[in-house]
Amino acid sequence: MDYETLVVERDGPVGWLVFNRPAAANAMDARMMHELEAAWLELDRDPGVRVIVNTGAGNAFQTGLDVAQLSRDPDALREQSRRTKRFELRFTAWHNDVSTPVIAAVNGVCAGGGLHFVADADIVIASATATFLDPHVSVGQASVYETIALAKKSPMEAILRMAFTGRHERVPAARAYELGIVSQVVDPPEQLRAEAQALGEKIARNPPDALAAVKRALRNALETA
Amino acid sequence: MTYPELETLRLERVGPVGWLFNNRPDQLNAMNSRMRDEFEVAWRALDADPEVRVIVHTGEGRAFQTGVDVTEIASDGEGMGRYRESVENFDFHFTAWHNEVWKPVITAVNGICAGGGFHWIADSDIVIAAADAQFFDPHVSIGQVVSIEAIGLMKRMPVEAVMRMAFVGRHERMSAARAYELGMVSEVVDPSDRLRAAAQELAEKIARNSPAAMAATKRALWGALELGLTDACRAGARELVSMWGHPDQEEGPRAFAEKREPRWQPLGDSNS
Repeated sequence: MDYETLVVERDGPVGWLVFNRPAAANAMDARMMHELEAAWLELDRDPGVRVIVNTGAGNAFQTGLDVAQLSRDPDALREQSRRTKRFELRFTAWHNDVSTPVIAAVNGVCAGGGLHFVADADIVIASATATFLDPHVSVGQASVYETIALAKKSPMEAILRMAFTGRHERVPAARAYELGIVSQVVDPPEQLRAEAQALGEKIARNPPDALAAVKRALRNALETA
Repeated sequence: MTYPELETLRLERVGPVGWLFNNRPDQLNAMNSRMRDEFEVAWRALDADPEVRVIVHTGEGRAFQTGVDVTEIASDGEGMGRYRESVENFDFHFTAWHNEVWKPVITAVNGICAGGGFHWIADSDIVIAAADAQFFDPHVSIGQVVSIEAIGLMKRMPVEAVMRMAFVGRHERMSAARAYELGMVSEVVDPSDRLRAAAQELAEKIARNSPAAMAATKRALWGALELGLTDACRAGARELVSMWGHPDQEEGPRAFAEKREPRWQPLGDSNS
């Protein structure tokens, strides 16, 4: 597939999925949502890819739906609304049943729907300049899927605070590290991709079947209250 | 709106923020039977007041809350027996969660939080603490079992820390600094006497957001504690979709584009 909104490439055993709409802070338009599904499946099915790293080009990691673009594309908006309503989303690794380990490498701001990719990754690392916020309630939207998934894997108070303060407060990378939302803060920030590649190669030294079995077991554990 | 006169609690509104004070400072805000009953009245009053967008709960004096009033239990011949039925049926009405309050609730821990005091940590949304606040759970040190408040805490923070407090009892205290490290609280206010100002500021920040969207978010996130991940998302879909077509969903982006504060709809009856 020819990708317009993503860069999909390989570096040794590591498959890279890069959000590539830097001028739009990597917001998801209809095209990107379509391409994400294809990219996750392509990388997951490639036996040469042992680990997937997900990051963003430019200053932002991911800032959620591109509402302006979607409002100009009624068919795409209708389809996205239908999927959202039924929780049949297809844009993260979890949504697409990816069995390969996934590292999110948060290179900058991660806002609103961008939190899907933090919540649904297995491992999260961040550049020292990355920030996290959830502006949904500041624009009259409920915050649901992203924060539910984050609350299942992080201290809940921090997630409730992020959900209720909306765009009026940000969680810096250092605090995300303390809370265990990310496991590594990379400083200087320019080293993020190199560190993600190194971590990916470390994980790739372990047997793929064992990794997939562990991932299945641990993800399934999130399915009970 | 006029709030009811209470003996053991005090209610006050400052701007969009409704304040609930534990008000038995000489008894370290221990909860006697009267306070237990008055809590329900207090939460309902703040929840019903349309001017209140966010609720802050704190204590008068040097304690936040120290749980059931042991003096009352020990002196009046009834003991804990008076609570047997409500405990067995888990039929409580003294926290925001018990009363299904869907407005954001901030707990501002002003001093000692002990034993049953953890109910209000576990059952609130956001917790901040004064730098000299201290946390401990003396239940097992006086021959009592701790369960409900510790279970609530385990759902929202690292379990080991909760087990340690439960088993060490009154022989160890957790500092506000450690509570922050663990994510039990999100802010430590130093100097401690700035706690109320910090809580008011945080509440006003939150009050700038859509009340209906926050109520839907709160229902989805608290509902998620009862379910596994996929089921929680499916159940949350209902809350997400509840905002579609809501006037706030038009108003939010418009206010943002016009660089002004949004004018949100007040919470409707369906949200209370």
